[in-house]
Amino acid sequence: MKSMKKVVGPEYNLSEKIKTNVYAVGVAMQESVYPHTMTVFYPRERKKMPDNYRGFILFDPDKCISCFNCSFVCPANAIRMKEAPNKRYYPTVDYGRCIFCHFCIDSCSGGALKATKIHDVAYKDMDEMFTPTEEMIELPEIIREDKKYVEYEIEEDDLHLKRTKGEDYLFVEVPPPIQIPMVSQCIDRANCIGCRVCEEMCESGAISSSVENGMLRMKIDTDKCTGCGLCVKECSMQILMLKKLERK
Amino acid sequence: MMEMIDTLMETVMSNQVSIPLIEPMLDVLPEIPMLQYMVAFMLWKPLFAILICPGLTVGGLTLLFFPWIERKLCGRAQWRVGPHEIVWWLGGVIQLLADTLRFLFQEVIVHKDAHRPYFLQFPFLSFTIFLLPLLFIPAGTIVAIQTPYAIQIILALVCLFPLFILGLGWASNSRFAYIGTVREAFMYFAYEIPFIIAAIAMIILYGTSDPLLMASRQSIPGIILNPVAALVFFIGAAMATGRMPFEIADSDQELCAGPHVEYSGIAFGLIYVLCYEKAYILSALMTILFLGGGSGPVIAGLGDLSGVLWFVVKTYLVLTTLFMLRAVYPRYRLDQGLKLGWSPMLCLALIGLAISLVVVAVRVI
Repeated sequence: MKSMKKVVGPEYNLSEKIKTNVYAVGVAMQESVYPHTMTVFYPRERKKMPDNYRGFILFDPDKCISCFNCSFVCPANAIRMKEAPNKRYYPTVDYGRCIFCHFCIDSCSGGALKATKIHDVAYKDMDEMFTPTEEMIELPEIIREDKKYVEYEIEEDDLHLKRTKGEDYLFVEVPPPIQIPMVSQCIDRANCIGCRVCEEMCESGAISSSVENGMLRMKIDTDKCTGCGLCVKECSMQILMLKKLERK
Repeated sequence: MMEMIDTLMETVMSNQVSIPLIEPMLDVLPEIPMLQYMVAFMLWKPLFAILICPGLTVGGLTLLFFPWIERKLCGRAQWRVGPHEIVWWLGGVIQLLADTLRFLFQEVIVHKDAHRPYFLQFPFLSFTIFLLPLLFIPAGTIVAIQTPYAIQIILALVCLFPLFILGLGWASNSRFAYIGTVREAFMYFAYEIPFIIAAIAMIILYGTSDPLLMASRQSIPGIILNPVAALVFFIGAAMATGRMPFEIADSDQELCAGPHVEYSGIAFGLIYVLCYEKAYILSALMTILFLGGGSGPVIAGLGDLSGVLWFVVKTYLVLTTLFMLRAVYPRYRLDQGLKLGWSPMLCLALIGLAISLVVVAVRVI
């Protein structure tokens, strides 16, 4: 068995002791006059968040093509699509589940979902955290008490607070994503079993069917098609595909 | 009857605080009945000492604001904020006033095992006893009771303080209070002897123990004449008030609050300010012994108040230094504290005594 090793503190001689003590007291004096306190006095001042901050999600129904991408991609199952009075499907977010990964915003092809810098939303209970579409459309009501905003700055390997007067903007204007117009196409007509699921799925009524000579004939109207890809996902024979729209 | 009043007024008028700045105001006063007598009484030196400085007003302000100053300074030194939310644009100045109000309306809980009469008596009794040395401490030339043995009396009263803390702990009858009390008793023995020797060294150096004479004999302040005694006295004061490196008796981490764990309400409020009261008295004593009391450049127009002002400024300087220790040093263990008190401090105190003797001998030769 190994013998125990005794831990011994560093030994200082008298002059070193006096020096270190004087240094410690000096630092304390200096800090008490000009402190490097990092505290942000939150309601009265806000920390300035970066523009790509992942906060509360806003929604613009005019840009939404009801492609369901946000709800498919959501890793926390927070987004559910609900039918609106105009028979379109729009997302609702349950903030009790949302992990603020903002995959929904990244995946939104029309740029209908928008990120904000709002991070201080309060709810009374869990049920209230379910946010219907109507509440996502309007800007949330915020009581702003802040007169300053705070930024952290690194100067000479030291972190400092920089306070600036004025309000930090919470709603970031992001340029709309570059849209590649897509259109649904059937790549293998011979295998179509005529189940008409695609016709039922289509939100914009681009797919229509007609019976000609006892044969079912499906037709995709490229002008009406929004390229949401719902029919592609639902086709049981997997013969539909999204293709780039070729402008004539 | 009238003769009695006249003789009384004669005594009062012969010993007035002279303030040239407010004299025009005093000349108007005789036209208003009664007010003249009241002002004359207020400006009577002994009463002025008790009511204003170093007594009730300045002492009360110290107790009201120095806990805040301590917390704020330490907070800033440690990159915290300290008290902040009450009147936040002034940095929470009235924190202690708010605390006092809360304590006043809080129930004083006396637990079953406590020794009820003593448990309730000691906080109030000790608060009064802690105020007594202020009678002998002069602010400038103003003193309540002038005696040639003032320093000895103050020292004797200061040495009485721990007894009341021991009483608090004993009456509490709880294990934390018990351990805290024993630690307090240990520390009491550790600091008291070097502390008294340091004070005696200064009495020998000046050849008097009258604070007013002491101030006049410090053309060179005592801290330069005998720095060793000053150091010992300062460390002794830190030990006596339980400042951070020696916060052994009421160590928050292991004993909750030491001798006063069981207290609540206004009783706790009184005990909470006890150590600040003690610190105020000891720094006043340090000002008298080592920093020349109220002596300093005379400020025109203030008269006697000039001395008072210098005294208060010096006392607050010592107090602030005492409180800044909390921001810098961690706590000693009990055995380390005892070792420090019994060996290096006792040696240093004796060296300080020797220095005083040498200085006196040089003066005589």
